[in-house]
Amino acid sequence: MMRGMLGVFAELDSTVDAIEELKERKLGDLTVYTPAPRHELDHAVAAPRSPLRVITLITALLGCVFGYWVAIWASEYWPLVVGGKAISSWLPYTVFGFELFVMVGGLGTVFGMFYLAGIPRITQTVGYDPRFSGEHFGVWCECAPDKLAEAEAILRRHGAVEVRGER
Amino acid sequence: MTAIAQPGDDMNHRRPNIASADIQLPSVKDWEQVDRELLAIMKPTGAWFAGLATAILCLGLGVFAFMYQVHQGLGVAGYNPPVMWGVYIITFVFWVGIGHAGTLISAILYLFRAGFRTTIYRAAEAMTVFAVMTAGLFPILHLGRPWKFFWLIPYPNWRLIWPNFKSPLVWDVFAITTYLTISTTFLFVGLIPDIAVMRDREKNPLRKRILSVLSFGWRNTEREWRHFARAYLFLAAFSTPLVLSVHSVVSFDFAMGIVPGWHTTIFPPYFVAGAIFSGFAMVWTIVIPMRRWFNLKHYVTLNHLDASAKMVLFTSLVVGCAYIVEFFIAWYGGVQYEQDYFWNRVFGSWWWAAWIMLTANMILPLSLFSQKLRRNPTWLFILSIAINIGMWFERFVIVVPSLSHDVNPWQWTTYAPTWVDYSILLGSFGWFFMWFLLFVKQMPIMALAEIKEIVPPKMKRSASNRHGGH
Repeated sequence: MMRGMLGVFAELDSTVDAIEELKERKLGDLTVYTPAPRHELDHAVAAPRSPLRVITLITALLGCVFGYWVAIWASEYWPLVVGGKAISSWLPYTVFGFELFVMVGGLGTVFGMFYLAGIPRITQTVGYDPRFSGEHFGVWCECAPDKLAEAEAILRRHGAVEVRGER
Repeated sequence: MTAIAQPGDDMNHRRPNIASADIQLPSVKDWEQVDRELLAIMKPTGAWFAGLATAILCLGLGVFAFMYQVHQGLGVAGYNPPVMWGVYIITFVFWVGIGHAGTLISAILYLFRAGFRTTIYRAAEAMTVFAVMTAGLFPILHLGRPWKFFWLIPYPNWRLIWPNFKSPLVWDVFAITTYLTISTTFLFVGLIPDIAVMRDREKNPLRKRILSVLSFGWRNTEREWRHFARAYLFLAAFSTPLVLSVHSVVSFDFAMGIVPGWHTTIFPPYFVAGAIFSGFAMVWTIVIPMRRWFNLKHYVTLNHLDASAKMVLFTSLVVGCAYIVEFFIAWYGGVQYEQDYFWNRVFGSWWWAAWIMLTANMILPLSLFSQKLRRNPTWLFILSIAINIGMWFERFVIVVPSLSHDVNPWQWTTYAPTWVDYSILLGSFGWFFMWFLLFVKQMPIMALAEIKEIVPPKMKRSASNRHGGH
C-alpha cells in the first residue's frame, strides 16, 4: 500500500530546498504540487522532457494522410470528368490534408497529454491537499516506513507549514 | 462581494508606454487574491439575469423566424435572383471573422510571448468558440432543406454518393469543423487547472462532484504541468495556421466564383486581416464592459488595451490597404465589368453601405494613432461597436453589390432583407451572448494559473539572497 509523508509549503524557495534535500537523501519517489507551473520546480525535479511531441507528430501525419486519401478515394470511386479536369487533384485536396493534419494532430496531442499525465484520474489518491490549487506548494515523498521520520524531519526543517503522514 | 484592491496610479498612467505589452499587475499582490477576486465575479447578479433573459428573447425571435422560413420556404428571406446569397452568408462570414481574434490572442500571441494577452485571452477564446458555433448555423439556415446538411460530410452511405471535394463549400465544412474542434479543445484544456481550483473550493457536494469529473482529477503535480505545458504549446502551434487557413478557405467561397468583385487573389489575406480586425473589436465589446462591471481594471490594465489598440490599428491599415488595392486592380485590369462594379459599389446604388464600411473600418480607426485615445476605454468601446457594424457591412458590400450587379445588365436587380433576415440576425446575437453570459458565470473568465505565473510567488528569502540564480 502507498505510504508517505506530505509537506505543505507556503514559499517556493523552501519547496525547492526540500525537494533538493529529499532527492539527495534518496528517501523515495517524489511528487511535487504547484498551483502554477514554475521553472524553479522543473529544475529541482529535473524530470525528463515530455515525449508528447512524438505522439503529436505521428497523429498529425496520420490525419494528413487520411485527409488526402479520403478525397482521392472518393473521387476515384465516382470518376466523373468535369470540364476536362483531372479526377484527383492535389491542390484542392491539400485543404483536406491540412485540416485533418490539424484536427487529428490536435486531438492526438490532448489524448497524448492525458495518457502521459495520468489523467483522467477517477479514484481518490493519497498525498493531495486542496491548498495545492490555491497558493501553496506541496511535496509528497512516498517511502518505506523506516524512512518516514527522516522525510518528516527534512520537510519540517525547510519550513513546511504542515507535515502529515498518509497511506 | 469581497473587497477588491484598487488599481495603482503607476499602472494606468505609465508613459511613454514603450513596453505596452508588459505584464506587470502591481495591484495584484498574491495568488490568494487572484483566486478570491476572479472566482467572486462568478456569482450571478440581477443585471446578469436581465442580460441573459434579453439574449434568450432575441434567440427566441430568431428561432421563430427560422421556423416560419422552414414552413414557408426560403422565399420569405428576401432573396431576389440572382441575389441568392444575402444576410445569412454575410452573417456567416461575419461570425467566422469574429472568432479569429480569439485564436490570434490565445495562440499566436502566446507563441510570440505577448504578455498583454494573459488577462484577455480566456474571454477571447470563449468568444471564438461561441462565434464559430454561431457561424456554423448560417450555412444550414441558408439551405432549402436544412435537415439535409449532413450530406456535405463524407460518410459511407447507402446512396454511394460522396461530396465533391473540389467544391469550396465542402472545404468550408472541413475548415469550420476543424476550427470549432480545435478552438473548443484549446479552451477546455486551458480550463482544466482552473476547474480544479473551483473543485477544491466548492462546498456543495453535487457541484464538487461535477467539477471533479470536469477537471479529470487534476492535482497540480509537476508531471501534469510538464505535459500540459507541451500540449498547450502544440495546440497553440496547430491553432496558428488555422487563423490563416480558415478565413482563407471562407474567402475561396467568393474568390472561386467568376463574379465581379469576387474573383481576386487578394481575398485570402484581405479576409484574414479583416477577421482579426473585427475579432479584436468584438473582444473590446465584451472585455471593456466586463472590466468595468466586474471591477477588473487592475487585471485588464490600460497598457493591455493600448497594446490591443495597436493590433487593431495595424489590421485596420491592412484592411484599408486591401480596399484601395481592390479599386486599383479594377482600374489597372481594364475590365469594364469590374470597373463598373466598383463604381457602382461606392457611388451607385450601394453607396451608403460602402461608405459605412469605409468610414468605420478605414477612417475611424486612424484615431488610434493617438495614445490618449488608445488609453481611453470609452472611446475604444464606441470604436468597437463602429467596427463591428463596419465589418458586417464589409461583407454586405462584398456579397450583395456583386450579385445584384453581375456581368449581364438584364440581370441587374436589387436586394432588401425582410423581417425574417433581421430576426435571424438578431437571433444569432442572442445565441452568441446567451452562451457567453452562461460561460462568464460558470467558468473563470481569466486563466487563474496563467495570472499566477505573472504574480510572483511567496519566497522565504529575498531575491538578493536567493541562490541558484532563479
